[in-house]
Formats: sequence, structure tokens, C-alpha cells
Amino acid sequence: MTDPRLLWRKHKAEGAADITIGLAGSMTLDPMVPYLGAHLLGRGFKNPKIVSAEFNQLHQACRDPKGAFGDAPDAIFLIWRLEDMFPDMLDRPADVLAAVSGLAQSVATLRRNFSGTIIVSAPPYPSLPAFDPTALEQPVTGGALHRGVLEAWMESIAGIERVRVLDLHGLLLKAGSDTAFDARKWFLYRQPWSESFWAAVGRQAGRILSAETVPAKKCLVLDADNTLWGGIIGEDGMEGIDLGDDFPGSAFRAFQKYALYLKQKGILLAVASKNNEADFYEMFDGHDAMILKRDDVAAFEVHWESKVESLRRIAQKLNIGTDSLVFVDDSAKEIAEVRERLPEVTCVMAPEELADLPGVLTGLDLFDLAEVTDEDRNRAAMMAVERKRENLQETMSEAEFKAQLGLEMSVFRTDKRHIARVAQLINKSNQFNLTTRRRPQGEIETLARDEGWRVLGMELKDKYGDYGLVGAAVLEKRGRVCVIDTLLMSCRVLGRDAETSFIAQLAEAAKRMGCETVQGRYIPTPKNGMVKGLYAAHGFAYDERSDVWTAGVDAVTKAPAHTRIRNTA
Amino acid sequence: MSDILIDLFAVVLDVPAEKLSDASAPDNLRQWDSLAAMHLVAAIEDRFKVHLSTKEIMKMSSIGLARKTLLEKNVQL
Repeated sequence: MTDPRLLWRKHKAEGAADITIGLAGSMTLDPMVPYLGAHLLGRGFKNPKIVSAEFNQLHQACRDPKGAFGDAPDAIFLIWRLEDMFPDMLDRPADVLAAVSGLAQSVATLRRNFSGTIIVSAPPYPSLPAFDPTALEQPVTGGALHRGVLEAWMESIAGIERVRVLDLHGLLLKAGSDTAFDARKWFLYRQPWSESFWAAVGRQAGRILSAETVPAKKCLVLDADNTLWGGIIGEDGMEGIDLGDDFPGSAFRAFQKYALYLKQKGILLAVASKNNEADFYEMFDGHDAMILKRDDVAAFEVHWESKVESLRRIAQKLNIGTDSLVFVDDSAKEIAEVRERLPEVTCVMAPEELADLPGVLTGLDLFDLAEVTDEDRNRAAMMAVERKRENLQETMSEAEFKAQLGLEMSVFRTDKRHIARVAQLINKSNQFNLTTRRRPQGEIETLARDEGWRVLGMELKDKYGDYGLVGAAVLEKRGRVCVIDTLLMSCRVLGRDAETSFIAQLAEAAKRMGCETVQGRYIPTPKNGMVKGLYAAHGFAYDERSDVWTAGVDAVTKAPAHTRIRNTA
Repeated sequence: MSDILIDLFAVVLDVPAEKLSDASAPDNLRQWDSLAAMHLVAAIEDRFKVHLSTKEIMKMSSIGLARKTLLEKNVQL
């Protein structure tokens, strides 16, 4: 890969510029020029012209762009940091906010007199000793100032038409301020940032500009086996597939969530998989850890023909060009074939390191949209409303809070779709686990088929989201007594009375099995102290001699009214 | 006979290597401005895997002085 600085210097500026960019900053922006220029050259511009204004002349550049940049440029960047703009004011938040509002007014003036693209920075967290983020007072001193400024600035900018944001604070978060800030350069040259951070700033600036001219990709085409889920459905069967809350299944789930995020951004999703249709759809529709649903996917190509053919058909079905497809697959062979025969398709190889799979498409500018949607724009306003709503919550009682969560619990006998997850819970849960009895998956499957036993699963969701399969129980019928062999829950759903609802369902299941009493034990381990008093709190009586807790099926504490329950066990 | 330090300066400053010598300095080389100075530091640190202190950077006010500083840091030139 060529050094962008070299690329920029070697390019021949001939004839008229095809884009002219003005840079005005609270510091000199020269170091970002080569990176911005090289990015634009890589995106099809032949002769970008980049003009820097005198530094720290942001207001002047806004009021007299011609004076600052010569003939009206196509785009103007206004890049500033708090510590350059208001170095002596930072201990006076009110003054800083007033000054920031003044700067926003200058941007509004520029908007009225300049028809091109305006891009302003979101100011990064200050790189000053007095703002060191690890100092214990920072959350309420420097941190509060920065948050306040950022919010006020973004709000004012949102009120000005067609102003785009170069998020320097976001870039700083991504790079880490220790990597971004170079104290030596700051003191020697009044240049705050490392070369690598300037490169990131220049690239991001170029990315914003090229989003306006380079068409974004329209459709993400995903392979299925070892891309959407771990394993090969045709060989491993649904029980053998990795998809769920624990690694590696969690990485695939996170990747599906990112795909869904792209769909919500307006990107079409398609699936190209070499599989038997029956196997594929059994998995796609039936596995309870799937994030993507059929409705999320605009086109399926599931058969044994080539991926090249699948990609062609997907483009045809969706009435888009193959050049607007992005294709993700874990097979180097498939990728190579597509690259060879459909070079216009952007191919992304699923990484060998599965932890990197969910983020494999981030940082690429494939899906950059120049136009921010109304929904995005409204999101900031929605956040403000939501903040107020949350304030309400503080005044809500515990009971009111639970009531408005809209909890839904489902309890059911597990079948092969759930066995892998249930086995995982049984073999891994430590804290909310009454007996900590571990069992191999095969044994759990056998018990699930035995009429004298019940292997139950519990799923929970509320209005904020679906927690998935988060509880399991194993019951054994001994005549009129139902023994709770295993009872466990994932700790992340505590605090919603889920345990009470779940135990009540076990009593209900016991009743349906023809039992009159329920019995359980608490077997202490170093980790399960939290459930020591569970049976006592739910209507069970303790017998010291046998070390067993017993309750009549109707004496077990009932489920709270705030949870809607579906019990098919 | 090419010299790796001269070559590095030539690339960063975009000046033919023949025109550079240990006597080359910001005073006699228009291209060696403050922006180029920063790029030189970055390139030297990159190429020779060293970390330069502000003192060292300030001492490097000619190619010869840069050479001396790097040799003192046991860089193979």
C-alpha cells in the first residue's frame, strides 16, 4: 500500500479542479491535507484542490469565505477544538456555552451566503492535563463541560440546514486519546495530533465528501453456514449449530444484529447459501437464537448452484446492479470465484478470528449515505423526550416500574431446537442455580423424551427487548411428588420477579403431571449463595432431617400480575 | 553509494538525494519547513523504530546533526 502522503504529492494537478475544498481550523490543518487528498483520489476525483485558511480564523472564514478561500469552494470544513478556541475560558462553562453559540451563529451566516457543503467538527474531548479523564473529579468538571458543549453545539448545528458533522470526538474515542495526542508535537509545533490521528481525520473528511458523489452499496448479501451461524446446518443439524448467548454463537448473533442495523438504515439484505432448502429454512425460521427473520431478507438464494449465479439473480430480483452488492462469505474459494467473475461486487471475507466478525463491515465506507434521513434527524429530538421519560421513572415506584416493563414469560417443554442452549445453561450457570447438577447434552435429550421427567425452558422479554432462553428446570415425577431436580436462571434477568413467575410455572407443570406437592433442594456451592433463601420466600417449608423444601402445588407463591405468562409445559 | 538517512530525507522532503548532504538544514533548504519537520520526525521514528525526545528533535537541525543524534541512539546507519 502506498503512503497516502506520497500519493498526494505525486498526483499531477492538471486543468481545472474537480472539487475545491476550504479548510478553516482552530489550529493549522495542513497535516490532514495529504490524507484528505489521497482519499479523494482513491474515490475517483482527478484533481481535488484543497485551500487552507489562516488558522484560528473560523469566524472570519464564515463571514467572508471568498476572502479565506478565494473563489467559492464546493465544500468548507470548520474544525475546532475547545482548548484552541477558548483556552482561557474553560473553567467558566457559561462563557464557553455563550462563545459556542456565537460560533454556531457564524455557521448560520455562512449557510446563508454559501451554497456548498458545510462540514463542522464535533469538538473532541480536550487534550489538557486539567481534563485528564482518569482524574476522579472529571465526570463532574471537565467531562460535564465537554458534554454540555457537545450537546449545545450539536443542537444548534442541527437547526441549520445541510450542515454535516466531522465527529472528531468519535474519532478520538476510536483511536484513544493517548494514541491521538502527541505532547511533543504540541509543544514543538503547536500540532496536537500524531500522524496516525491526522490520517484518520483526513480520511474521515474525505469519506464525508465522497459519500455525496460515490454511490453507496444497496444490498448486503450474506452466506449462511459459518457466516450467519457457526457450523454447517446440512451436516451438524440444528443442535450442532453455534448461535446463542455464549461464544462463538454470540459472535454470529452480534453479526446478525449488525446486519439488522444496516437493514434499518435502508440497506437491503439477501442470503446466498449452498444448502438444501429444507435444512436451511428449518434453521433460519426455527432456531430460537436467530436475530434475522424472513421478513428482514429481501431475497434468498438457497440451492447448490454457484454464488456467482446467486448474486446475479439477487441483483435481478431487487432490480439493482451487481455493482451495488456487498458479499460476505467465509470461504476463500467462493470469494475468489466472485472476484474473478463479478469483479464489480465488493467481497468481504468473514475473518478467521470470530470475535472480529461482528465488526467486519464497520469502518468501511460501503454503506455511507450522504443524506441523513428524517428519522435519524429526529432521533436527537426523540432522545430529549426519552430523557424526560426516564426522569419520570425515577419518581415511579418499584411496582409501577415493573408494571410498565410489559414482561412476557414463556415456559415450555424443550425440544431439539432448545437443547443446545439448555445444555449450555445447565453446564455453565453458577449463581442462580439451586443444585448445580451438570449433565451431558445427550442425557438431557434422553430426559426430555422421558414421560416421567420434564425438561423445561423459559424465555423472557419486555418492551425493551428479547432476553431469549434464560431459564431451565428439570422435574422428576415420583408418584404424587414432583421433584425439582434442577432450577436455574441467567442472572441478567433478575430484579423483575422472574424467579417468582418461573417457580409458579413449575408448580403449574407439577399439577399437570398429576402431582400434589413440589419438592426441591438447595445444594450450596461457593457461588450460589444468592438462591439460599429462594424456596423459603416462595411458600416452601423446610425439613431439616431430609434437607428438602416442600410445598403443596397450590401453596407455591403465585406469579406477579405484571408478567404475562404463556405456559405450555 | 546511497545513504539511508539521505534517502529518507529525500523522500520526505521531495528533493533529489544528490542535492542533499549532511550540511543540509532548514536554512538552506526551502522544503524543510515546520510541516516537513514533523513528517521527518514521524518518518525517522517509523523507519528506525526509535522514539525521539523533544530535546533530540530540537538538536536535529541539519541532516548531519540528525545522523549524530541517531548514531548516539545506536541506530545502524
